Amino acid sequence: MTYPLRKSFLAASVSLAALFSAQSLAAQEAVFVIGTAEVGAPTYNPIKATMLNTATALLFDRMVSQAADLSYHPWLAESWEEAADGMSWTFKLKQGITFHNGEPFTADTVKAWIELFKTTEGENAYMAEAIASVEVVDPTTVKFVMSRPEPNLLYNLSSTFMSVIEPKSFAALGDNFGVTEVYGTGPYKLESFAVGQETVLVRNEDYKWGPAVAANAGPAKVERLTFREIPEDSTAFLELKTGGVDFLLSVPADLMGEVQKEANLAVLTMAGQDVWYMPINVTKAPFDDIRVREAAAKAINQDEILASVFGGVGAVADTFLISALPESKVSDGARIKFDPDRSNALLDEAGWAMGEGGVRMKDGQPLKVTLWTQSDSIFRRLTEVVQAQLKAVGIEAEITTFDSSMIRDQYKTGEQQLAVRSYNWDNADIVDWFFGGDRLGYPNVSMFNDPKAEELRTAAMTGAKNMEERIANFTAYHDYVLTQFPMAPIYQPVQAMAYNADRISLPATINAPSFGTAAFMDLEVKE
Amino acid sequence: MLPWLIKRLLMLVPVFLAVSVVIFSILHFIPGDPIDNLLKIGSSPEARAEMEVRYGLDKPLAVQYSIWLGNVVQGDLGTAIVARRPVADLIAQALPHSLRLGGLALLFSTVVGVLLGVVAALNRDRWPDRAIMGGVLVGSTMPSFWLGLILILVFSVSLGWFPVSGARGWQSLVLPVLTIGLGGTALVARITRVSMIEAAGRDFVTLLHAKGLSPLRIQLGHVLRHALIPVVTILALRIGWILGGAVTVEVVFARPGLGTLLIKSLSQHDYPVVQACLLMLAMAVMLGTLLGDIMQALMDPRVRAALS
Repeated sequence: MTYPLRKSFLAASVSLAALFSAQSLAAQEAVFVIGTAEVGAPTYNPIKATMLNTATALLFDRMVSQAADLSYHPWLAESWEEAADGMSWTFKLKQGITFHNGEPFTADTVKAWIELFKTTEGENAYMAEAIASVEVVDPTTVKFVMSRPEPNLLYNLSSTFMSVIEPKSFAALGDNFGVTEVYGTGPYKLESFAVGQETVLVRNEDYKWGPAVAANAGPAKVERLTFREIPEDSTAFLELKTGGVDFLLSVPADLMGEVQKEANLAVLTMAGQDVWYMPINVTKAPFDDIRVREAAAKAINQDEILASVFGGVGAVADTFLISALPESKVSDGARIKFDPDRSNALLDEAGWAMGEGGVRMKDGQPLKVTLWTQSDSIFRRLTEVVQAQLKAVGIEAEITTFDSSMIRDQYKTGEQQLAVRSYNWDNADIVDWFFGGDRLGYPNVSMFNDPKAEELRTAAMTGAKNMEERIANFTAYHDYVLTQFPMAPIYQPVQAMAYNADRISLPATINAPSFGTAAFMDLEVKE
Repeated sequence: MLPWLIKRLLMLVPVFLAVSVVIFSILHFIPGDPIDNLLKIGSSPEARAEMEVRYGLDKPLAVQYSIWLGNVVQGDLGTAIVARRPVADLIAQALPHSLRLGGLALLFSTVVGVLLGVVAALNRDRWPDRAIMGGVLVGSTMPSFWLGLILILVFSVSLGWFPVSGARGWQSLVLPVLTIGLGGTALVARITRVSMIEAAGRDFVTLLHAKGLSPLRIQLGHVLRHALIPVVTILALRIGWILGGAVTVEVVFARPGLGTLLIKSLSQHDYPVVQACLLMLAMAVMLGTLLGDIMQALMDPRVRAALS
């Protein structure tokens, strides 16, 4: 009596299990957690947005793609040519491309898009500022007529902010474009978007025009992608650990150890786009004396910080730019490296004699300065090490911690002396942003305003006719800024991600500067 | 009753005005403004000035306040500066999540709290009373974010019963509801117990005993009914509290809602959104208090008589 019943139970549970597993096999979906820095991006409107998350790169394509070595490769544009004088660029477009709403992508689309880009109010228009007009040569050829040479054009065209949108729906939808509906040509279409919560994407089955840097031109291999926004790193890690999600797009340094303890989890690292540094306010005594600035900068032991604070993951920084950029190749003398003997000699020379308790004195005053940092734990840890290193040459730094969301406003007071901070950018124009004389306080935390630097800055920003010239001008500008010691470079992290290796299989190499379209095209869910 | 109610409602107006002034000014005294979050690397100082004009941030604070208040009174919460959407849309998206979470937590703390309170009162000074009151003390002193993390570690990470975070399905509601609800349970249990013990000493109870009613019937049918008046008042007061308490819990569990919206907008200095969220929370407290008063009036014949 009981036997058949048990048997039928068994049969039922087996078929139930089969049903569930069949479903999960067919579903072919993966859940990603967006990095905390990108949480709360309010829209997928690339023209208007000031913050875009990783999913943006899957909804839209761009004219050109960028490889891991930062070189440029075809995407929507098959090829391009720059006029010898830099005053025009001609792009040959791929054929047979359609947007998610069925509209074709042609030379007219590019013209309409660039015009929208230049005229839509927002913060991004500067990226197309040097394009005077767009001429449609034939349906697959466009010519950008320039108001001045812009060697940085390809960089701008490879940025997610210059994702190609469908111009008709963009005009029709207004502020709803990017929120309720999104139309690009990308490998995934938007299924749903709840701001600050999650975005669900479904595969674009027609997609076959992937970026040249991806092995797979399309369609993508995973059917459905969910991007969750979890503001707490520890919560995100627990989700990964318990199988609630498959992939964390950003793992903070302090959770790396926890990830490595789990057998089914794996860490993926890519070259970083961040630089950690110590701005030095050049207007505040004693740092109005360049010798004291140099002494403070050369007191920073980058190797020790890399080993003790960051567990040897990443690289030391000895210029203001990430090493992948050609403009980081400054002269050897301009590189800022740990040199305690030089620091001590300079401080002696500047009249700061070593006093009692290891703090230098001048005219009865101790060499005491303030050192600002933000509340995140990694910043506090690093700042304490910096404080100890400064103490080693006789500079006593008092740490003040500000909430991360407030610190920019504190910088605007100009009261800072030293600070520890970081930035994320992969173009040399960041030197202009942080050291331009018209942005004192924030972003120019160093309050650096130097006539020669301003001259070099103008040449770098708008004076170059081609890429070689731009690189040369920016290298010269960067080199000069370094020799004035408005900051001390500290550290270049890697981009660290974590994923469930039982579920996700990654391509052997990801030929892109960050985990974006190319990586998602080649990514697979294990069956 | 009606004149009393009207008077009570009119009294909310000055309270509302005072709250609105505080909300508006506190926010603007925090250093910084939302424009920083709109500026991108590469934008010029002129772009910044232009934006200040566009969002009215260049006007004196008093003028900004009167414009804002005028719009709010007309039901226009404005447009989010950073999120670039009508604030009403953002609130409409977030509020149902918070109401669901808060409502369930309130329900949980009421049912479980009253039950525990009754059991404790009936077993006064015996071990069930001591156990319940001890548990309640622990429960009421635990900060909700910490309790939330402990619940995640036990029920999600170790046992794997519920998801760690998110808002998918009923399973994802269990731990957040428990996190918010447990604190309320402690409060309700304590008040139920105290007012039951107090009511049990009243003359009418002696009379009921004299009439020969069974002790259990007296306790549940008469004493409890009497004892529930302060409990209901406290519960109404907690409506606002619970929405406020949801702020941290929503962040811990990465759930959508008013709290997540508030925290995000606060870090971006998105004034219109923060103002609207705070106003919602303040209104919840104000209306909860009003509701408490009304309920008390309806349930207590003496108060009802005094009003009419």
